[in-house]
Amino acid sequence: MTFNASHSGTINVPATTDHLHEIREFLRERIRAAGFSEFEENGIVLAVDEACSNLIRHAYHNDPTQSVEVSLAIESDAVTVRICDTATPFDPSSAEVPDMPTYLQERRNGGLGILIMRRVMDMIDYVPCGPTSNRNMLVLTKRRTA
Amino acid sequence: MNQFTALTQQDERGICCIDLAGYLDAHTATELESIMSAAITNGCRRIVVNFADLEYISSAGLGVFMVFIESIRSDGGDIKLAAMKPKVFTVFDLLGFPVLFEIYPTVEEAKQAFPSLEA
Repeated sequence: MTFNASHSGTINVPATTDHLHEIREFLRERIRAAGFSEFEENGIVLAVDEACSNLIRHAYHNDPTQSVEVSLAIESDAVTVRICDTATPFDPSSAEVPDMPTYLQERRNGGLGILIMRRVMDMIDYVPCGPTSNRNMLVLTKRRTA
Repeated sequence: MNQFTALTQQDERGICCIDLAGYLDAHTATELESIMSAAITNGCRRIVVNFADLEYISSAGLGVFMVFIESIRSDGGDIKLAAMKPKVFTVFDLLGFPVLFEIYPTVEEAKQAFPSLEA
C-alpha cells in the first residue's frame, strides 16, 4: 500500500450538526482507500463524529457562523485526526467519564462521546489555544491492528 | 439528502414497530425522539425498533432509547431492539447497552418476546 496525499486532507464545515455526515464521508473514503479494516474505519469515524458532535452542540451551540476543521493524516501504521476550533477550551482527554454499570442502572442520558473516543482510539491529546495559536486542537490517533 | 427515516406501524397485537433507515447521529436523533414520543403519546407501550436498514448510530442515537426506557417499563411495556447490522450492534456493545436492552436477531423474534395480552 502506498500512502499518498489522497489519503490525507482537511475538511472545514459550519458548526451545525447537519454537517456531521460530511465529516464522516470525508473520513470514510480516505481511510478505506488506505486499506484499514472496516472495523477500524467504523471506530475512527465514530470517535471523530462524537468529538465533533460535542464541539458543535456544547461549545458552539449549533452556530452556523462558526466552523469545525478536521484534518486527516494517514501513515502506514496509524491514522491521526486533528480537530481544530476556536471555542472555549475543553480537554476531553482529562474529562471525567461515566461508570457504565452505574450509568445504565440509573438510566442516565448523554455524556458518552468522550467515553467512546477513549475506548476506540489509542491516543487522545489536546492542545488548547495559547500564545502561539488562537485555535484549540484535539488529536485522535488510532494504530492499525492488522 | 434524506439521511434518516423512522416509520411507525402498529400490528394486530398492538405492538408498535419503528423501522429505522439511514444514519442516526446528533442531527437526526431529535427526529427519532419526536417519533418515539408521538408513539408513546398515542398509547404505545410495546415497541420494537427495527434496525435492519440503519447504517450508522452514534451515542446521540443510543441516548434516545435511554430517554424513554424507564417510563415505558414503569408502565409495563418495553422497547425491544431488532435486526441490527454488526457495525451498529458494535456501538451498543461498546458501551454495555445489551445489559439494559433486549436485542433480537429479527423483528419477529422481538415481537414474540412480548407476553400475550390475552388473559
